Amino acid sequence: MKDSILSASNLVKYFHEPETFQVLKDISFEVKRGEFLALVGKSGSGKSTLLYVLSTMDTDYEGKLAINGNPLTGKSQNELAAFRNQHIGFVFQFHYLLPEFTVLENVMIPALKMRRLSREEIETKAYGHLSTLGLQDQALKLASKLSGGQQQRVAIARALINDPSIIMGDEPTGNLDSKNSQLVFDIFRDIVAAGHQTIIAVTHDEDFAANCDRVLELSDGHLLK
Amino acid sequence: MKLPINYQIAATYLTSKVKQTIVAVLGVTFGISMYVFMNSFMSGVNEAQNRLAFSTLAHVRIYNDRPMDRSDIVSHVFPAGTIANIRNSKVIKYTDGIKNSQEIIRYLKTQPLVSAITPEVNISVFFKNVGNKVNGTLSGVDVAGEDRLFKTAEFMVQGSWKELAYRPDGIFVGIELARSLSLKINDNLNILTADGVSHTYKVIGIFRTNLSSVDKAKAYLSIAATRQLLAENQDYVTDIQINLADFKKANQLVNIISPVIPYKVESWSMANAQLEAGSNLRDVIAVAVSLTILIVAGFGIYNIMNMTINEKIREIAILKAMGFAGKDIRKIFLTMGTVIGLIGGFVGMGLGFLVSDAVNHVPFNVAGLATLPMSYDPEDYMLAFSFGLITTFVAGYFPSRKAAKIDPVNIIRG
Repeated sequence: MKDSILSASNLVKYFHEPETFQVLKDISFEVKRGEFLALVGKSGSGKSTLLYVLSTMDTDYEGKLAINGNPLTGKSQNELAAFRNQHIGFVFQFHYLLPEFTVLENVMIPALKMRRLSREEIETKAYGHLSTLGLQDQALKLASKLSGGQQQRVAIARALINDPSIIMGDEPTGNLDSKNSQLVFDIFRDIVAAGHQTIIAVTHDEDFAANCDRVLELSDGHLLK
Repeated sequence: MKLPINYQIAATYLTSKVKQTIVAVLGVTFGISMYVFMNSFMSGVNEAQNRLAFSTLAHVRIYNDRPMDRSDIVSHVFPAGTIANIRNSKVIKYTDGIKNSQEIIRYLKTQPLVSAITPEVNISVFFKNVGNKVNGTLSGVDVAGEDRLFKTAEFMVQGSWKELAYRPDGIFVGIELARSLSLKINDNLNILTADGVSHTYKVIGIFRTNLSSVDKAKAYLSIAATRQLLAENQDYVTDIQINLADFKKANQLVNIISPVIPYKVESWSMANAQLEAGSNLRDVIAVAVSLTILIVAGFGIYNIMNMTINEKIREIAILKAMGFAGKDIRKIFLTMGTVIGLIGGFVGMGLGFLVSDAVNHVPFNVAGLATLPMSYDPEDYMLAFSFGLITTFVAGYFPSRKAAKIDPVNIIRG
């Protein structure tokens, strides 16, 4: 029996600019540990907004959010930053690597921030992730020198470095060609298969969504069952 | 690199845009070196000015002031309206000089602020070399004491200062005075006092103080010889000159001793208000100019930091998404500002020293100076350094606070 990793109850969110508009309407759901979940919906349906609420970066909402049994609603920005550092990995549509750092440094930064392991241990671990993703030869290049597909794989390695419970993706394949998309999807599949990590990804890629364990569809701020 | 991650990020940002960093560092360097140079130069000028002024002026002088105006003596004694008929009134002889000078000097020696005391007998005389006649001041001095206060031995162009003590027949004259009376060493010089006493001395030395009013009209005699000339006793003194360890405390000393001493006690700043005003005004100008430069440098740093933060706004958002708190981001950018300030500060102090040293070698043959004056006070350097650090810290603080407040959701979602 798989236990619950994330629970959202009665999430409501408004946008106030340019005029007050309800984006999320009473959304409640749970995600099980080890699940590969896709959030889909039309443009403007609120799927990305929901993801950012779940990611703890957006704190301007009503309702309750708990990850790994930790209630997160109402915590300070600094506490949430520390929580994200430890429990959540991000993969965005655009890789968002730090271009002035090497690939290896990019992967290491979240772990150096957490400071649970020594620098040597972090480096070994980062090399491990990079070689799993076929990037060990690129480790000492500047992040900006890599191709788009490679950069996205570096971003995945970076998301994995602190062994987060949840990996969140905002259109992780949105900017990749079909070959690289498939590659990223396969990596995600392997991560979920390996054990305890959960993936929640916003996508409009139908193939991607179709191969996930579960699909949540949003429409006008409502969750369609 | 083994630095904590926040510092490592700051270091990478500083080194990846070397040109920008150098521009920011140069701003601080320039500000600080100008601050150092301006202040060193101004204090150098002030010191030269003071050295020149204090070559004849003591920090505090005690003398017997002229008696008050007694032309209307009747109204002080009789009620108003009294009719009096006094014609051609005369002032009866008042006491010249300072009585009990030994007693006063002993008392002054107990004052902790006082560093040196010397008694003088100063009188107005005519210097005569047969046809030529010049009026001026004859200064009877305690030879050792005078040198302690005014370093008069250094002003001797010919002859040796110490000789005056052993030569009751000898006199030292100012260089301009010697020229106007056509005097050479070993020539005779006739002195005529206000009381009509005439005496001839031998010129055994010539001095130059570089103050032309002094060089034109002053001669030194030993104090004993002067008392003899005036037929006064061995205690007779007209002026007591006092120097302090710190000349800026002259007024403080005046306030302590003047209630006890029944004569006029005057500090250098009372006697020469323009000296103090000039020195204070130069300080104000130096500080104003150098602070302006530092503020301009501060705005330069502020601009560069703001630019960097705008350029890196996405990276800041991503760092926050990965778990960097606002205070981490602030630390990164404050570290950048502080490093710029530190490097700029050290280089600025060095450059300031080099510029000061170069200017100190510029020839400037006026009033006994050989080159432009310069002071090398570590305090100026420390002040410049701390002002530079404060400026960069403030200039880095506001942009870094802005960076710390960036909302990652807005930036990442576009």
